[in-house]
Amino acid sequence: MKLLRCLLVLLALVPFAARAQDDPYAGFSGGYEDISHAIEALALSGDKRAVPIITALQNGKLYVAPDQSLWIRQDDDLLNARTGEKVAEEPEDLKQVRVNNAVRRAAEAAMGSLDLFSPDPATRAKAAEAVFTARDPAALPALNRALAQEKDSSVRTVMEQARAAVVLAVPDSSDTDKLAAIAIMAARGDLEAQSQLQTLSQASQSPAVTKAASDAVAAMARMQQIWALAQGVFYGLSLGSVLLLAAAGLAITFGVMGVINMAHGEMVMLGAYTTYVVQQVLQAYAPGLLGASLIIAIPLSFLVSGAVGVAIERTLIRFLYGRPLETLLATWGLSLVLQQAIRSIFGANNQEVSTPGWMSGATQWGGVTITYNRLYIIVFAVIVVGALMASLRFTSLGLQMRAVTQNRRMAAAMGIRTPWIDALTFGLGSGVAGLAGVALSQIDNVSPNLGQGYIIDSFMVVVFGGVGNLWGTVVSALTLGIVNKFLEPVAGAVLGKIVVLVLLILFIQRKPRGLFPLKGRAVEA
Amino acid sequence: MSPWTFRLCLVAVLGGAALLSVLNLALPETAAFHVPTYAISLAGKYLSFAMLALAVDLVWGFAGILTLGHAAFFALGGYAMGMYLMRQIGTRGVYGNAILPDFMVFLNYKELPWFWHGFDNPAFAIAMVILVPAVLALIFGWLAFRSRVSGVYLSIITQALTYALLLAFFRNDMGFGGNNGLTDFKDIFGIPLQESSTRCGMLIVTAIFLAAALLVARYLVTSRFGKVLIAVRDTESRTRFLGYRPERYKLFVWVLSAVIAGIGGALYVPQVGIINPGEFSPANSIESVIWVAVGGRGTLVGAVLGAVLVNLGKTVFTGALPELWLFALGALFILVTLLLPGGILGLLGRPPRRPKNVTPAAEPAE
Amino acid sequence: MSGNRETLLYLDGVSVTFDGFRALNSLSLVLAEGEMRAVIGPNGAGKTTMMDVITGKTRPDTGKVVFGKDTDLTKMDEPAIADLGIGRKFQKPTVFEPHTVWDNLLLALAGDRRPRFTLWARQTSEESDRIDAILKTIRLREHRDRRSGDLSHGQKQWLEIGMLLAQEPQLLLVDEPVAGMTDAETEQTAELLREINRTRSVVVVEHDMAFVRALGVKVTVLHEGSVLSEGSIDHVSNDPRVIEVYLGR
Repeated sequence: MKLLRCLLVLLALVPFAARAQDDPYAGFSGGYEDISHAIEALALSGDKRAVPIITALQNGKLYVAPDQSLWIRQDDDLLNARTGEKVAEEPEDLKQVRVNNAVRRAAEAAMGSLDLFSPDPATRAKAAEAVFTARDPAALPALNRALAQEKDSSVRTVMEQARAAVVLAVPDSSDTDKLAAIAIMAARGDLEAQSQLQTLSQASQSPAVTKAASDAVAAMARMQQIWALAQGVFYGLSLGSVLLLAAAGLAITFGVMGVINMAHGEMVMLGAYTTYVVQQVLQAYAPGLLGASLIIAIPLSFLVSGAVGVAIERTLIRFLYGRPLETLLATWGLSLVLQQAIRSIFGANNQEVSTPGWMSGATQWGGVTITYNRLYIIVFAVIVVGALMASLRFTSLGLQMRAVTQNRRMAAAMGIRTPWIDALTFGLGSGVAGLAGVALSQIDNVSPNLGQGYIIDSFMVVVFGGVGNLWGTVVSALTLGIVNKFLEPVAGAVLGKIVVLVLLILFIQRKPRGLFPLKGRAVEA
Repeated sequence: MSPWTFRLCLVAVLGGAALLSVLNLALPETAAFHVPTYAISLAGKYLSFAMLALAVDLVWGFAGILTLGHAAFFALGGYAMGMYLMRQIGTRGVYGNAILPDFMVFLNYKELPWFWHGFDNPAFAIAMVILVPAVLALIFGWLAFRSRVSGVYLSIITQALTYALLLAFFRNDMGFGGNNGLTDFKDIFGIPLQESSTRCGMLIVTAIFLAAALLVARYLVTSRFGKVLIAVRDTESRTRFLGYRPERYKLFVWVLSAVIAGIGGALYVPQVGIINPGEFSPANSIESVIWVAVGGRGTLVGAVLGAVLVNLGKTVFTGALPELWLFALGALFILVTLLLPGGILGLLGRPPRRPKNVTPAAEPAE
Repeated sequence: MSGNRETLLYLDGVSVTFDGFRALNSLSLVLAEGEMRAVIGPNGAGKTTMMDVITGKTRPDTGKVVFGKDTDLTKMDEPAIADLGIGRKFQKPTVFEPHTVWDNLLLALAGDRRPRFTLWARQTSEESDRIDAILKTIRLREHRDRRSGDLSHGQKQWLEIGMLLAQEPQLLLVDEPVAGMTDAETEQTAELLREINRTRSVVVVEHDMAFVRALGVKVTVLHEGSVLSEGSIDHVSNDPRVIEVYLGR
């Protein structure tokens, strides 16, 4: 208890002791150089009032009285700079603290280093980042002090990087310090660090430092190439999963059943419109659920497109089995009807489908920028295709579907109701197309023409992968996505797409059965 | 394809064109039977489409190749003609540049791209109308038929072909006027395009070309070549074991068909006054297939009949009830394939058996 | 029927695999010029695949197929092989259904197959004489102007054999010619084949043992893609291995 009291007394004495030694509020009445020093001293003191005082100075609102006391003019009031309290009576002979460019620089640097002590880690990191970019040797003392008390490891890293940058910018740092700094910069590895090291490797230095710097630059250039490659692969995977989603349903209706459904794109479109309707309804009746609108839309669009698919199979396609070219024409006609129907109901304009908060934004993964909507679409594609494969392989419905497509008569003889299975298979493929529509509503315009843009791509994906082979479709979609994305910077988006189409046409002519053809006697016939 | 329907068709095409022209030129505008000039152009457009339909019927009806990209050949022929018409404008364009068409001046072209050279010469332009579709068809067909791509696969890659061309022609830096295409034509072979007499002349020329194409097509399909072709359509593998090379037969008829389509496109452009990338859209190609299906596949005459009827319907519908047209067209696709596999001609004559589809469905899991 | 006639067709160690399934397993077979051979075997023994290999439809994984002196068939495609003089009749009768009987035979007649010829070709009197002769042989004279798709099953089989004759091949491959025929028709077909065999070599694949016996020629029994037994019909039907796998336990 006694000890505690002692401590309290001591603590209370500390500020006085400091002030007695060196008053941080002094020095503002002198010449420009004095003022600059005063600002630095104030910033280094760690005083809480430093920020408003220096801000006032920057804005020309800082005044000094003949007794050296500082005053801040705020609107019509005058504040005591030391306490921040309003004073009713204005002291006499207030002089505005003078500012020139040197003072302004000092103030800016001081503000930067002050943020290094901010209670908010994000602000501290940002300040350290600013030091990193500015490489101002003047910031070194503040930086060192901040480092000494920093507890957040990620902020620490940035601060160390900033210190390294400053060390490298000061010509008379020791080689040992510089080599250590180079290592830190190399670990950071971004363009900024690379350009600083680049400068360093060209400036006259000791050979060891020059070599270390240029080695680090070379290593970083390699890393950046790898990151750029990884970024390209990510974009490619994202495009590939869009293609995969669009093609997965077709892989069932066309690949497994052999039905050419030119209205497949419209099943996708229906899924997207279902998403739109779900959002409209939620907006009107349950705005709180808007964030979950996509989750709600997923089963609904599967059901809507799937039900339309079953209806199409029962009323149209079942009369055309074994006549693929007629099926093609009839379903094309159907696609026109569906498009016009949607146009008549919702209008020809693009509909606004909002993106929930958890899907917007991006994160950095190493040197790769990952946008959440693309990431979620990749995840969604994986889930949809995985579920599709599982349902074909492990459910009794899937077993019956495979039985019917492999040997219809035998399946019928075993008591499977083949017409029912046909309808369900077609409904499954259409429902998956509807799921694709939910995803596409997030990245494409929701309009009656939405599906048309995907129909040729989807067929290409399925044919390229090898008809009847779901894995082939996966590989094909991802390959096409990645190839497309890597061609884009070389050839431009449109030309890249044309090149891919032409390559596909040539490929199909060389290998009409796709990448992963099913072999066997039956196929030969 | 009985001889009397064929003769009737020839008479109707040639006589109809002549009659409309007479009613347009000889009668005063106030007369009850006067045919307005826009109707002449409309008729010319239908007959150009009929050539496209005839081209589709040749390959689909007789070689079993369901092409979903024939509008590409039509549009290429059209662009070749359009390029000639653009060069004919000369200094009468908005920018008054004697060499460069307006859109090139607008896009800051300094000189004519190499592929525009020669198009000021009508003979060269006409040669290109034939050669460009022919060469594209030759390359595409050679690759496709040699590797035995058939059926639905072939249909899909023909569609991809026209889709790729659509994307390409939309690009401004392709040098074909991008989105807007080629338009504002002034005259053809030195004759002003807008004159009624020119319009009638073009209609009659189109009718003559269509009649000629009908005669060539009929000769082809009734010759021994045509018999082989039909054999290939129905039982391709059997013809191979007889020593025929189906790919050669298909390639020949494919290229011929592309040329007919190209000429159709070249006749189409001066009569409608514009060619733009939209003509390449896969939807156009598929629409031309439905004309054939409506008229009757594998009858030649049916293609002409279907093209004229469906387009007449389109004109009437889009004028009166625009939003209903796509419903009507879609229903047409469905009803004809489901209920009327022989088309209109199938209703008239003795029912021709529906050609058997040899092209296997994608039934790999079998 | 035997002796030292020249070899017309020689299969040496031919193997074909479909997805791990061995359709032909090192099959070897020698056919002499002018010979008629019957090939029998249970389902999946590789009879049709053997035909496919000879006619160029399927490429063997290994092995040689030599026609005549030294023509390697494995390097040629179907039309080239047909051009050499190998004709084939399919298990399921395949005629050009929209065409008349006459036109079917016209298309099959030996001659120039190139488009540039058929485009301008006019029917010659020589051609009509030959078609007439074949129509007589296959007993379809009254049906010459009928659409071939309207013929009965047996008539289609004969038309197809007629088309084979019109091709004037050196070697005919005939896959189950009497499937679905009446007894009378079967007998007539056997007679027809024997007649054809006077001038040409024939390979007949058949299930119908009575028919094979009626042909009275050397028989090759296939089993699991290779030759199980070879010899006269009496020889093979007494071979215990044949009895076990094929003729019944």
